[in-house]
Order: sequence, then structure tokens, then C-alpha cells
Amino acid sequence: MSTFRIEEADRPHVIRLAILWVILSVIGVIAVLQIQIPPGDETVQGADQTRTLSLMTAMATPVFIGVVMMIIYSAIYFRRKGRELVDGPPMLGNAPVQVVWITVSTIMVLFLAFVGITELATNSSAQTVPGQSSGTAAAGGSEMQVQVIAQQWYFTYRYADYSGVETTHLYLPVDRPVELHVTSLDIIHSFWAYQLGVKADANPGVDNVFHVTPQKLGSFQVRCAELCGIWHGEMADSQGQVVSQSDFDSWIAQQQQDYAAIQKVVPSYAPFYFPLPLTKGS
Amino acid sequence: MVTAEVSERRLAIPNNPITGVLLAIPAYFFGVWLGNLFGLIDDQNTGVILGYVFATAAFLIGVGFLNYPLERLFGWSVSPITEPDENRGLGRFFRLSLDHKVIGMQYLVTILIMLLFGGIGAMAIRTSLLSPNSAITPPGQYIMLIGLHAVMMIFITSAVIVGPFGNYLVPLMIGARRMAFPRLEALSFWVVPPAAVILAAAAFWGGFPTGWTGYPPLSEQAGQGMDSYIVGFALIAIALVSSGVNMLATIITLRAPGMTWTRLPIFVWGIFTTSILGLLAAPVLAAALVQLTLDRTVQTSFFLASNGGSNYLWQNLFWFFGHPEVYIFILPAFGIIMEIVPHFARKPLWGYRTGVVGLFGVALLSWFVWQHHLFVSGIAPVLRPFYMLSTELISIPTGIIFLVTLGTLWRARVWFTVPMLFCMGFLFNFLIGGISGVYLSDVPTDVTLHGSYFSMAHFHYTIMGGEIFALMAACYYWLPKMTGKMLSPTIGRLHFWWMFIAFNSTFFPLFIIGLLNMPRRVSAYDPGLQGLNTWVTVSAYFLFGSMILFAGNLIYSLFFVSRKAVANPWHARSLEWQVPTPVPARNFDRVPLIVAGPYDYGVPNARPVADFGGRVGATGGG
Amino acid sequence: MAVRTHAGAALPEAELALDARVVSVGVWLFLSADLFFFAGWWFSYFYLRALNNNNAWIVDGLTRPNKAFGLVVLLLFILSAVTYWATTRVAVRSALFGLLAPVSLVLGVAACLFQGYGMWHLGFGLTQGGYPSVFAGSTVSWLIQIVFAVVWLATVVAQVGPAGDTRRRPHAAASFGWILLFLAAIGIINYFLLYLVA
Repeated sequence: MSTFRIEEADRPHVIRLAILWVILSVIGVIAVLQIQIPPGDETVQGADQTRTLSLMTAMATPVFIGVVMMIIYSAIYFRRKGRELVDGPPMLGNAPVQVVWITVSTIMVLFLAFVGITELATNSSAQTVPGQSSGTAAAGGSEMQVQVIAQQWYFTYRYADYSGVETTHLYLPVDRPVELHVTSLDIIHSFWAYQLGVKADANPGVDNVFHVTPQKLGSFQVRCAELCGIWHGEMADSQGQVVSQSDFDSWIAQQQQDYAAIQKVVPSYAPFYFPLPLTKGS
Repeated sequence: MVTAEVSERRLAIPNNPITGVLLAIPAYFFGVWLGNLFGLIDDQNTGVILGYVFATAAFLIGVGFLNYPLERLFGWSVSPITEPDENRGLGRFFRLSLDHKVIGMQYLVTILIMLLFGGIGAMAIRTSLLSPNSAITPPGQYIMLIGLHAVMMIFITSAVIVGPFGNYLVPLMIGARRMAFPRLEALSFWVVPPAAVILAAAAFWGGFPTGWTGYPPLSEQAGQGMDSYIVGFALIAIALVSSGVNMLATIITLRAPGMTWTRLPIFVWGIFTTSILGLLAAPVLAAALVQLTLDRTVQTSFFLASNGGSNYLWQNLFWFFGHPEVYIFILPAFGIIMEIVPHFARKPLWGYRTGVVGLFGVALLSWFVWQHHLFVSGIAPVLRPFYMLSTELISIPTGIIFLVTLGTLWRARVWFTVPMLFCMGFLFNFLIGGISGVYLSDVPTDVTLHGSYFSMAHFHYTIMGGEIFALMAACYYWLPKMTGKMLSPTIGRLHFWWMFIAFNSTFFPLFIIGLLNMPRRVSAYDPGLQGLNTWVTVSAYFLFGSMILFAGNLIYSLFFVSRKAVANPWHARSLEWQVPTPVPARNFDRVPLIVAGPYDYGVPNARPVADFGGRVGATGGG
Repeated sequence: MAVRTHAGAALPEAELALDARVVSVGVWLFLSADLFFFAGWWFSYFYLRALNNNNAWIVDGLTRPNKAFGLVVLLLFILSAVTYWATTRVAVRSALFGLLAPVSLVLGVAACLFQGYGMWHLGFGLTQGGYPSVFAGSTVSWLIQIVFAVVWLATVVAQVGPAGDTRRRPHAAASFGWILLFLAAIGIINYFLLYLVA
């Protein structure tokens, strides 16, 4: 490989493009960083996702601008001028340029993978194998256990720490880590609590564990994100709430009372459970 | 060469599609009867599946696929495939033909018709989404529509470039006088119409509720429409394998003398890599489909967790096929872009070897990424960093495709024809598609984007904005050779701009809709998103209009104006443009001797690509 | 029965050599595809066996398939495949081939019939968990493929006559031997997994 040198004929194009690219990229990056990207900061996990999305958009912008600029520039400056067909300069390739391109794309990719893996390793949005605990969950087993039970076409929630009370809406106390055990009674569903930054497939016979830590009061929506039959589109609930601990306590007490009354008359929400309903310490 | 007249006996039934259909109808009912005899009558799945299988077999027999095995079995003299099909009439397009050019045209017309139906399905879906609840179409019909649209489009896009253009052009590009296995090649076409019809038949059973992924247990709970999915997909798997064997064997063994691997047109490399993927991925799908069939008919429990199975088994097998499958779509499109750009840039392909390495890199890495579809499914969470890394690594060889194309354009003398416009459109669309793919490959962001309209927009950008734009480029570029008529460039330009703007206006907002909490495949959504959805629907109508314009251009240019194409209207160097138009029955009088590469534009003292008067070679006798 | 004529029975030498290469490459490509098909089954086997969901991979009291019967079927097919493959190594045009190819055909037909009988009398219900599912599925897949292979073998035997295709294109008949050998190898692996390890 000879020393890297820009050919005389290339120089005006390279300079023009480089200046244009730097200016547009700076403007572009500043612009995209203004965008408020969902899912927002209602939970630690959601905030992480928002931050990663912003980072990716900021990294993608110069790439996007660079390539689009090249396409448009070629269309304008490298267009055939006269009417007759003329051949361009016979350039067969340029090893340094290829090496630089591949190196830069490799570095970007490895950086993104590094960011992603770090988040997986350190952050509680990490999904874990049942029985193992993730980063923040290790803090003395203080996580609240909630089993999310999906069936055609609604979700129910079983609070293992509160004598296994089963409810139709999800309420979570703020600032308390929650361990969600997602499962299904019939076919595959996906529990998507958008503002919480949680999406977990509900598979029959599988305990899919996700962690979430709400950090702000507010409401959230729950939707099914895996095609599950004709009422898939209606399998949604907009009454999820992140509430303060005292509100949560009174709400759950009310639920336990209602549940006890119901249980005398009707059986539980499903005829049988596989895996078995989560109870404390299981 | 000995030319003795040999008498040959064959079955005395007329071989054509009409016979095929006439045989298929009783065969279907026989299959249903037989299945109900042995299977569980109450769900009829055994009967319906056997009916479809028997009907397809009968159709193929009627078309003429049994002749060769029977000739062999009865010890008769077998007809050699080396005999050129001298029939130049229109009738050859409606019969079993072993001429790769006829098969290419059959494929093109069939696929374009299927594309129309898939597109109508898309319009119905978008119309339904004008309303945020299920007011326009009931939810049952809505999921039927998305299933039919999805699977029809998957059938189409698996074959839309390899089928018409691969079959037609590969022998011409490598200097061969025939394909290696013309019967397999014909089979890879003739199973596609039955697959499309069987898929459409699902509508009579109320469709199937699973989309194209067919996840059990939903697909085991589903009605008889699901059987269409199984048999249709199995037929496409057969098409992929037979076409893969044929293409690879052709490219490996039948290259003309002098056609070294480094002189191979890059489009042929695209076909080569995609054929490897099709050849090896489709059998895995076939195994999964057999399991689904057994679960649905004889009540085995491959996918039932409560009885020793696992629905993850399907997800693993399906995506092990499914991810290479999406590169089956895009690799030939990469080939087309890198093939067309040098001819209009009037420059050699910049970094040819790097481009080939890029194609192989994508093909190789595509085997190691399938679990990125399953990041939130709960399968082996510890493996997620690996699949995240492997998925992100794919953007390196994909980036090489951009590097090669942009390098070719650098300081070129671009001749802005309609195919060139579509190539530029491809670059723009696929850039967005590729970057959005990186968003989905990262686990933390995938948790929020997975299964939302964001991923739906992503794969429409890569498949429609990528592969279909490349298809359009290929149509405008190669149809003059294939049909002998030029397509109107004026309508072509209008078509491009219309389609490009309508496409981006349709699919870009879907990224935003996906980020704003709209899952895929829902008939009811947050009313707050109705404004954006209405915008998308209206744009989709315009997009459909652009496709109608393309169909109009085809009809107008081929049948009404008839501007005859010269043999080489683009003044291209490559081999396929050096043969006369229409292409003779055996492509070349003699096997050409290849003496130069196809892209040597502006190279001082470049030789023409081939010596046609050369030696008699051994590709296809006669 | 219609009669039509065409030109040319004998192929030129160069054409024959090319044909040999085309068929050989085609066979290897097909085998690689088929390997992935069976790899899908092996994956299913190990996956379901390892998961053992609901402890229903093999339920208590399941009647196992008869090992001796499976072995007989397998040996018949191995003999068929090896006989055919070995004689093609010697020479397809030899008298030995004319003698042994029909033997191989008979062995192959016997293997198909025995296996078909075996599938009809499994001894366990297909609804009885993971192992019966995988056993039935992968054996049926293998059975269908050996039936097709044996039918093709019959066409090879039918064409051994002086003007027959086997005589004219011996390399194609020889390449076909690899498919038989491959299916025999699949049979051995399947026997090991399904009957011995389970």
C-alpha cells in the first residue's frame, strides 16, 4: 500500500464534500438531539431505551447525511454533460479508501455493540433466566414479584407478595424494583407496557422474567405485541398506573378484599396454570 | 456426432396446464376423501392437506413432469435435454418448456400477477386502518388480509429476481447454452402457480390468523386456512431448493471458457450467494412444516409445551430459515444495483472483489443472527449479546455494497436512464432500511421497537424500497433484451418519481407510528394515531397508483407503441447484450471465448468481452 | 402411447464429460440441502429432549419401538445402498452391475415395505409426548426419501439395456450411488438417536 494521497482530480470534490458533510452533520446531530424520543423516563428501563435511541440516532445522522450527500452529489456533478456516451476514468478500486471505510464501519458497529452489551450486563432491563437474579435484583431480594398471565385476549396480574391476589389492571409502586414473570395460558402473546419500557413474550409453559423499576408517577398502556388471534388488536389496557407506595397499599388491600369475595363464588381466572402460579419464595 | 433418428414412446396425454387443472380437481377431492378416511373427520385438516398435495402432484403430472421418470421406469428411450426447443410460437409460454428464457418469462408474468394480488391485499389493509377501531373490516377479516398479504408477498419476493432475471440472464451472462438442470429449473417455476392458488384458497376457509411467521400454538389452534399456509410454503421451499441446485450447478460447471471467477458479472455473484442461502435454508423450513403438519393432523406435540414439545422449537427452526430468507430477497437486488451502475456510470465496477466479499459476508453472517427475532421471547437470554453483535456485524458487508456503488459513481459520466434512477432510489431507501435495522439489532432498543410498526417499516424499506426498486431497475434495464421492446422512458421517469415519493411518504411515517406505541397486525389502535395512519393510507393509494402506472407502461410499450429494441440499447459491454435480440434458441451459435471483464469501461485498449467465432465448446451439444 | 422421434442417441465425448461434472456437482448440492433438512430434525430431537417440558419427553410406561425391527430395516437399506454404490465404483457398464443393481433394488424395496409396516404399527400413540413425535416425524421423513430414492433406483435398473440411459450416461448412475449412501448414513444416525439413545 502506497502512502495515502488524494489525486489532483479528486481534490475539489473531496474538499467540497468534506466541508458540506461537517456542516450538515453538526446541524443534523444537534437537530435530532432535540427530538423527544419515546418511551420516556417513567421507569429506569424506559429512560435507558430513550437514551440509547437518541445515541443511535445521533450516530446514524452523519452516516445518513454522508451517503445521501454522495448520492445527490453524484447525480449533480458526475452526470454526463454532452449528448454522446463517454467513458469515465477507469478506476478499479482504491485499497486505502476501502480499508478506511471498513475500519470506520467496524469501529462504529463494535461501539454500538459495546454500548448494548454494557447495558444488558449492568442494567436491570436485562431479562434473566428464572431463578437467577440480575444486577439490581441482587439487592436483598427486595423486588416485588408480579406474574403477568396472558390469555386470549386479556392480561391478568398475580401479586405473589400479596397472597397471590389476581387483578385485571397493573398497579406498580414508584421507586420499587419489580420482577415480572410473564407467561401465557394458551398461545403466544407479548406483554408490552410501552411507557414502562417492557416487552416480554408470554409463552405457554415458560416463565419469562423481566425487570422494571418505575421512577415517576403516571399511567401507562399495556398492549399485546404478538399476533394472537382475531381480537389481538383489542388486547389492550390503558389503566396501568405507577402510584405512590401508600396509594398502592390501599389499592392492593382493596383488591385482596374483592378477590377474597370473588373467590368464594367463582374459580380463579384460568382453569389451570402451567407453569404454576407464582407464589412468594418459589 | 451421430445423428440417428430414434423413436421415442411417451404417455399419450396432452401436456399442458389445462390437463393439469383437469387432473388436479378430482385429485383434490380424492385427497380430501382419503384424508377424512384416515384422519380426524371433525377438523378435516388431514383431508385438506392431502387434497392440496395430490392436486399439486396431479397438476405437475398434467403439465408433463411425470414423462421423464416414466420413460426411465419403463425402459424407454429418454429424451435428451440437450435438444434445443426450436418452437418460437406463443404457445411455448403456456407449456412445460426446458428453455431458460421461456421459464424466465413465465416467471416474470406469473410473479407480476401475484404482485397485483399482494398489492390489492395491502390496499385493503390500509383501507381498514383508516378507522382506529374495527369499523371498516371486522377483526377476523383483517387478520386474514394481513396473513394473505404477508405470505403472498414472501412467495413473490423469494423469487421475484432469481425467477425471472436469474433464469433468463445467468446462462447469457456466463456464456452457457443451457442450464445445468432444466427440468429442476422448470419445476422451480411450475410449483409457484399452485402455491399461489393454494394460498389464495385459504380465503375460502377464512384465512389463517398467524401472519407469515405461523407461530404455534396459534397455528395449531387455527382453522383449515392454515393448511394452505403449510402446503404453499412447502412448495416455495421446493422451488428454492430446486432453483438453488440448478443455479449453483450452472454457475459452477457451465461457465464459458475464459469466464474466470473474477470475470463473473456481479449479478451472477448475487444469484450465486442467494442460491446458497435458498438451498440450505429452505430444507430447515421444510422440516418445521412437516412438524406443523403432523401436529395439526395426527396430533403429535412438537410445539405443545404441556406435552413434551416447545413452541420455541418452531421459532428457532422458522427463523433459522427466516433470516437467511430475507437475504434471499436482498442479495440479488445488491447484485442488480452493482451490475447496472457501472454500465451507466461508464466506469469499471469500483472494488469488484470487495463487492463479492461483501455479498459473501452477508450470506455467511446471515446464518448466525436468527435469534435477534427472539430477543424478547425468553429464549436463552444469555445468548443475546452474541446475536446482538452478529446482527450488527452484518452492517459491515452491507456497507461495502454502498462503498462499491458510490465508488463506481465517483467522477463518473453518469447516463441518467430510468434503471439508473431506480438504482439511486434503491440506495436512498436501503440506507434508511439498513440504519433502522441497527436500531432493531440492539437489545435495549429492540425491547421497545420489537413487534411494532417500526420493524414493519424497517422491512418494508428493505424489501419494497430495496428489492422492488431493484426489480424495477432490472425491468427497465433488461426487458428490452427479453421482450425486444423498449419501455417508454418518459412514463418510466414519471413512474420512478411517483413511486419514490409515494413510497417514502407511505413508509417513513410508520417509523414514527411504531415509536408511538402501535404494534403490528392490529385492527384497532390508539385513536390519537389516526391522523398519521390516514396520511399513510392515502400515500399507499398513491403508491399503488404508481404500480398501476408501471403496469400501464408495460402494456403501452409492449403492445401499443412497439419501439423495437436494438440488440444493445445501453451500449453495455457485458455478455448478455452481445447476443442478438430476440435471443436465439441456443443463446450462442458457438460457445463464446471470454477474453475480458464485463466492466472495462474507459480502460485503455480494452478488448471486447468475448470472441464469438471461437471454439466449439461443450455446453449443451447440438 | 405416442411415438415421436428425435435426433441423436450418442453424445459426444466432451459433452459426456461435462454432463458427468454437472450431475456430480448437482448431487453434492442436493445432499448438502438434504443434510440441512435432517439437521433440522436432529436439532428438534436434542432441543425437545433437553427441554423435557412438563416431563413429557418420554412419559412413564411408553412402549419403546422395537430395536431389532429397526435394525433389520436399517441393515436392508444399508446393504442396498452399499451394494449399489460399490458396483458403480467398479463399473456401471459391467455385467456385474446388471446383476447386482436389481439385487440392490429388491433390498431397497424390502426396506421401504418393512419401514412402512413399522410406521403403521408403532406400538405407541403419537399424542404421547415429545419422543413419539420426533420418532414418527423423522422416520416418516426418512421413509419418504428412501421411497423416492428406491423409485429412482428402479428407473436406473430399467435403463440398463444397451440403448438405455444408464448405459449411455454411466456417470449419472454412479453419482446417484452417493444419494443412497447418504440416506443410509442418515438412517444410521437416526437409528442411533431414536432407538439407542432416545
